[in-house]
Amino acid sequence: MAVLHAWRAARVTPLGELHTPPRMTAVLVRLAVQVVLVASLWHGLYSHTSTTAGLDEGQAVTYAVLAVLASRLRELDQYAGRDTVLQHMHFGTIVYWYLRPLPPQRYYALRALGEQLYGLAWALGGFAVCLAAGVVEPPRSAAVAGVFAVSLLLGQWVLYYVMLVLDQMCFFTIRNNSAMLILIFVQNLLSGVYAPLWYFPDWFITLSGFLPFQATLSVPLSIYVGRIQLADAGVQLAVQAAWVVVLALFTRWVWRQAARRVISQGG
Amino acid sequence: MSGSIEVRGLSRTFHTTVRRPGFTGTLRSLVDPERVAKHAVQDITFDVAPGELLALLGPNGAGKSTTIKMLTGILTPTSGECRVAGVVPYQERERNARNIGAVFGQRTQLWWDLPVRESFAILRDIYEVPKAEHAARLEEFDDLLDLSSFWDTRVRHLSLGQRVRSDLAAALLHDPPVVFLDEPTIGMDVVVKEQVREFLRYQVEQRSRTVLLTTHDMTEVERLAERVVLINHGRLVLDGSLDDIRRKFGSTWQVRATLADAHTDVVPLPGIAVLRRDGPRVVFGPDGPDAPTVHQALKTVIERYEVTGVAIDEADLEDVMRAAYVHAEAV
Ligand SMILES: Nc1ncnc2c1ncn2[C@@H]1O[C@H](COP(=O)(O)OP(=O)(O)O)[C@@H](O)[C@H]1O
Ligand SMILES: [Mg+2]
Repeated sequence: MAVLHAWRAARVTPLGELHTPPRMTAVLVRLAVQVVLVASLWHGLYSHTSTTAGLDEGQAVTYAVLAVLASRLRELDQYAGRDTVLQHMHFGTIVYWYLRPLPPQRYYALRALGEQLYGLAWALGGFAVCLAAGVVEPPRSAAVAGVFAVSLLLGQWVLYYVMLVLDQMCFFTIRNNSAMLILIFVQNLLSGVYAPLWYFPDWFITLSGFLPFQATLSVPLSIYVGRIQLADAGVQLAVQAAWVVVLALFTRWVWRQAARRVISQGG
Repeated sequence: MSGSIEVRGLSRTFHTTVRRPGFTGTLRSLVDPERVAKHAVQDITFDVAPGELLALLGPNGAGKSTTIKMLTGILTPTSGECRVAGVVPYQERERNARNIGAVFGQRTQLWWDLPVRESFAILRDIYEVPKAEHAARLEEFDDLLDLSSFWDTRVRHLSLGQRVRSDLAAALLHDPPVVFLDEPTIGMDVVVKEQVREFLRYQVEQRSRTVLLTTHDMTEVERLAERVVLINHGRLVLDGSLDDIRRKFGSTWQVRATLADAHTDVVPLPGIAVLRRDGPRVVFGPDGPDAPTVHQALKTVIERYEVTGVAIDEADLEDVMRAAYVHAEAV
């Protein structure tokens, strides 16, 4: 790969975090509080019933806690690092992305890869602690764990593209921060970060079936807790893979439009 | 590799929609947007020789940044063409990127949350500079820019002067033959400015880099540039040496001489007029468009008359440029 030499760009986010210990402490505290709150919320909801929407208490708590941990994968303080596309467009520093022998899309991908690996380290650490503390159930079998891992990988890949599309919008509709916040909320909602999708009304589930969001998190977590059986997992993995292909083609096309836009306006 | 810059008939027009004032105006703009053409750069032609430093001057909005953006490949021209080190920048952006370094004064390319040295390391990898070469060049830059006193600091904590010095180093770490600097020293104090000037002089004289610089600081121009290109409203007004510009627009000098003999006959010399005479004290000034520079006039006066004292008043470059801008406005 022609970009390997530029691997250091992958270190931007982790290094930025390591150089800002208070930020890491804040993450740790927030993660701990979120896990405790979410776990007790779902325990409370199940205190009068044993199954809701086809899930028992252990499954529901496991799903919710894993969702909190997984949300760490891509929720980093890029904004504080002034390294979002939105900010680069705003400050005009986007020109430097087009002044280097590394194409912007490769730089972006490397940077996101480093960020996701760093987030994964956090998520895995949190997972190990929660598992040891008995907050989450272990996967039911090695097969479930394996399929979950594949599905999570595909899901992160889809998530990468979803985030990329949000960033790419900034090339065209600059300076619309609130639209970004709404979209990030929608992305979290529809991917099942706030609550498993099965608790939502049918029309909502149908609607989100046509969108890529549930492929990011809902599918792998459902496989983990057994809501999606291994027998049906193949179809879900195929859907995830299909989203990866569709979004890869789409974002590649948008990158070209973005480049055209930058070089017609001069940044 | 030859680091020449060739610009031929380069033009760039921007099309923007203007917003009409008021509520109905806004509605009308939505339905029927009014498009205006802004000719930011019009038919500009000039060359920069390898190893030459050229100052591109002009008032705000003259089209300097637009010109630099086309030369760096981040903007396509509407017409005309240019070559930088033999490459057409906007056609081969990546190849051009290896040949050039660029600093846009108010914009940093460094990573805000990382120590400066990490930014350098990332750029080293992106440009595939061998480690030893990178280290040697960094050391060289450190000698001139005193980077080591702050390169372990995160960029967000740097002062403006430190940040710009880091940006300059970052732009030159891959040893580009051609360097574009768009108002690099804007807002910096004199000490840092002097340091940057020394650095640039070294890069041009010792490293033979070609530098295209825009600035509003005339001291900088005077210290660094032999040649300047002046543009206004997107058009090239003048391409010549500082002396050319002085001759053309700076004819506001005075030579005040005290003659040894108060009764000497004083007559006008070619291009030199007698402005005032008071006994032995005579004030000479420029006469007509072919007036000599103040230094030539001084020489002429001293050769021609026996003087006991002499002083010169010269318009500084700041005044000269003001005159040039005003002149450009009038044509
Ligand atoms: N992307 C753009 N869209 C519309 N007008 C622009 C754009 N970029 C520059 N201009 C206009 O072109 C003219 C030249 O701008 P610029 O090259 O930045 O001037 P300078 O750098 O000499 O101050 C200005 O009038 C500016 O408003
Ligand atoms: Mg400018």
